[in-house]
Amino acid sequence: MIALLIPMLLPIVVGVLLMVFPPRQRNVMLGIVLAALAVDLGLAVWVALQPEDALRLTLVTVTEGLTFYFQVDTVSKLFSVLVAFVWLLAGLAAFEYMGHEENEPRFFGFYLIVGGVLAALCYSGNLFTFYVFYELMTLTSAPLVMHELTHEAIMAGLKYLFYSVGGAFLVLFGFFLFAAQGADLTFTAGGVLDASAATGVARLAVFLMILGFGTKAGMFPMHGWLPTAHPVAPAPASAVLSGVITKAGVLGIVRSVYYIAGPELIRGTWVQYAWIGLTLVTVFMGSMLAYRENLLKKRLAYSTVSQVSYVLFGLSLLQPVAFVGALLHVVFHSLVKDGLFLSAGAIICKTGRTKVDELKGIGKEMPVTMWCFTLAGVTLVGIPPTSAFVSKWYLATGSLASGIPAVSWLGPVVLLVSALLTAGYLLTVSIDAFLPGSDYDYAALEKHEPTWQMLVPIVVLTALAVLLGVWPGGLTSLLTGVASSVL
Amino acid sequence: MSPYFILVPILLPILAGVLLMTFPIQDGKTRAVAVESVVILNSILVLVLLLNRPAERLYLFSFVEDLPLTLNIDGMATFFGGLVAFLWPLATLYTFEYMRHEERVNTFLSFYTITYGVTLGVAFAGNIVTMYLFYEALTMVTLPLVIHTMTEEAQAATRKYLNYMIGGTAFAFIGIVFYSLFCTNIEFVLGGNLDVANLGNYANVALLVYVLAFFGFGVKAAVFPFRGWLPTASVAPTPVTALLHAVAVVKSGVFAIMRLTYFCFGADFLKGTWAQTVVVAAVMVTIVYGSTMGVRENHLKRRLAYSTVANLSYILLGVTMMSPLGLTAGLCHMFVHAIMKISGFFCAGAVMHQTNKNYVYELDGLGLAMPATFTALLISGLSLTGIPLFAGFVSKWSIVQALLEQPSMMGYVGVFVLLYSALMTGIYMLSLNVRGWFSGGVAAKEANAQFHDPSWLMLLPLAIFSVLTVALGVYAQPLMTFIQSIATGTF
Repeated sequence: MIALLIPMLLPIVVGVLLMVFPPRQRNVMLGIVLAALAVDLGLAVWVALQPEDALRLTLVTVTEGLTFYFQVDTVSKLFSVLVAFVWLLAGLAAFEYMGHEENEPRFFGFYLIVGGVLAALCYSGNLFTFYVFYELMTLTSAPLVMHELTHEAIMAGLKYLFYSVGGAFLVLFGFFLFAAQGADLTFTAGGVLDASAATGVARLAVFLMILGFGTKAGMFPMHGWLPTAHPVAPAPASAVLSGVITKAGVLGIVRSVYYIAGPELIRGTWVQYAWIGLTLVTVFMGSMLAYRENLLKKRLAYSTVSQVSYVLFGLSLLQPVAFVGALLHVVFHSLVKDGLFLSAGAIICKTGRTKVDELKGIGKEMPVTMWCFTLAGVTLVGIPPTSAFVSKWYLATGSLASGIPAVSWLGPVVLLVSALLTAGYLLTVSIDAFLPGSDYDYAALEKHEPTWQMLVPIVVLTALAVLLGVWPGGLTSLLTGVASSVL
Repeated sequence: MSPYFILVPILLPILAGVLLMTFPIQDGKTRAVAVESVVILNSILVLVLLLNRPAERLYLFSFVEDLPLTLNIDGMATFFGGLVAFLWPLATLYTFEYMRHEERVNTFLSFYTITYGVTLGVAFAGNIVTMYLFYEALTMVTLPLVIHTMTEEAQAATRKYLNYMIGGTAFAFIGIVFYSLFCTNIEFVLGGNLDVANLGNYANVALLVYVLAFFGFGVKAAVFPFRGWLPTASVAPTPVTALLHAVAVVKSGVFAIMRLTYFCFGADFLKGTWAQTVVVAAVMVTIVYGSTMGVRENHLKRRLAYSTVANLSYILLGVTMMSPLGLTAGLCHMFVHAIMKISGFFCAGAVMHQTNKNYVYELDGLGLAMPATFTALLISGLSLTGIPLFAGFVSKWSIVQALLEQPSMMGYVGVFVLLYSALMTGIYMLSLNVRGWFSGGVAAKEANAQFHDPSWLMLLPLAIFSVLTVALGVYAQPLMTFIQSIATGTF
């Protein structure tokens, strides 16, 4: 169905036009961006409501074995709606935030383009198409990282580019190998490779694919770029980089392990154990580093390193309940982390403070923002009845049920320790913000609350993050269906 | 068509070049029109010739009884001849603008045009002796082009160039002498003409001879350890580095190795022997070496030259798989690399010509002043890196297909070498673009305000190459079908 191209191409075309012919009036530009984002969300929802087999699209064949092919399954629908939704909200917040930055048309241009590329990534139906848009995502999101054009931002952008391109080339080995073995690399639930005939090289290739896609997801040992690159971007860009683009790496791992290689190919092999080990190391290390970090945005970035590896831990267990937990955590972490980054952005934008120890009493100055920050923090820690509690519950249950020696109980322990650390690095910020202590000068108190353009996204994201924990039923049953098809 | 027609496109540029040298044209515009007309006319002649290929080979004369001079147009000749004929008029167009401020333009253009004919001679040669003749001639006629600026640096570079080339041809000559003893018939035939049945105990000698000849011809293809001349020779004017040292000369080396491997010794004879291991190892070392040095190099053109060193060995990596798929991959990358690297060099030349900047760290913020040039550089860089949607990915894909055709350690290692090199390429090409578009800030913007894109003479070739790079990245099937028919001998 050719209409599938519209949600991918529309933002790309609008974004390119915006850069080539920047509108003279700022409001016109913002209007165009808002319209494009809203229409794109509408299209993503429309696609998600279509029956599954109606959405197939074969485009050109570059040469034998390289065909552009799109198809939409439940995973595509989940990711694409999530992307479009977060993109709209973070875009709205950017209207205010970017007011004090330069080169706005370039920012919004690339912002829209990345949104379109991500839609294409979600709808990709085979490994080649996925790889193409994965690379394009790296290239088109790099300008967002480098937006401020300081030396630091450019160095961070280069680091981001090199890590990502390197990761993508690890993925490429798997693609090359499986394609050369004659496999048809269309995404198929449960995988397309023959697990019984698997060779050592094939397993190595799967491991490299996990490592390669894991680069984007900030998995140890390829996480180095993330705490450098995410904080230097403007806050709305860091929000989507941390909240959404890391999930593209997760999607890549889901696709390569569950839809290409098949879980049976690596179950019980060194690949699975190594993968589990890496994710647990990352979960712990990320929280630890976040706890020690004083720069607020960098602390949030380390938190992303840790939290995305919760997702990867769930995936690495190759167990249905953990799989559901992982995908739930994709959604919840996305909402929470975007909310947190946008709150941090509001603080930077309104008060210019970037360090945690400067935030004493900020809750008095920006009560709504900081209440949202606190609730999002509570969610990320996983306190019931918030959403991340549900996902972590699934992750822990899945881990205990997996029957893998040591890991089955070690996993939940690591998750718990990390949750404690999460409370340590997020809730302490809130405590200082609301309870500044007796020496706080209440007389000099000034209100710094941002306008509705920033508050609406923050409030909506936080509300959803909290409330989805109370009513997770629809999402859970949807994902249970997916889990039973791939495992 | 009469076989004698093959001589026309070889001799016409040589004649025109000699004429230009004897009767120099002083007016720049007249000279440009005259030279460009000759080059375009010659390209049209090549096109006509290739579309109406003579059925038989052209026998000229024999040096001695067993060493005849013949010309023949088979699939390979069509491919290389067509590639050269396509690139030459565009590169010449670029030359006029670039050489506007240089001296001795007449001499330069005469040798430049003569080189066209000689390169076609390499392409159309019907046997290895004829090819060797033109191959030697190519060294000689490009010598004045390298030394053109007459600076001390250029003289040193030329001396180095000459030493390497003469050394290389000596090896190649040994190869040819022995080959003429071992073969049943010296003409090029797909599958080779080696008299395997009567080789007996001399099989290992034949392999040794192959290895010697490989490295002999490999000097022009900059195979490790004979790669030193290429980065040094980038002191030559950009049209030389772009067309000759990214296409005509170096690809003649690669082309000669293809002829030697598939049309003389035969891929079946070489496959799986120690000779194959030796050459594959050398090629892999070259790839790693070239791409690593590219990252370390700060001089823009030398960086591109190191990239050429690596990319020529990509081609050879395909070729040394000794299979039809390998030859297909080699030919594919030969074409793709030609367009994307020439484009990269032309961008570097445009920057040098417009701003007199030579080093990577001087590029800060220049992209905003010269957007067209840097867009072309971006496309060339992404393609060299092997990002899909650009032609470089397609050729890399076909090389990998050849590498992994049979599961073997050599194939896997080859893929990793390619991926390592791709990452290095990403680093040295993308950092150029990041510098050009993002670095520098306000200070660079003010400093660069005086600079702008070059004239259409330089931009037109860039535009054509960029469009072609993207077009092939999206739809390469016709090219691949054509190349496959050459590699399997059905063309």
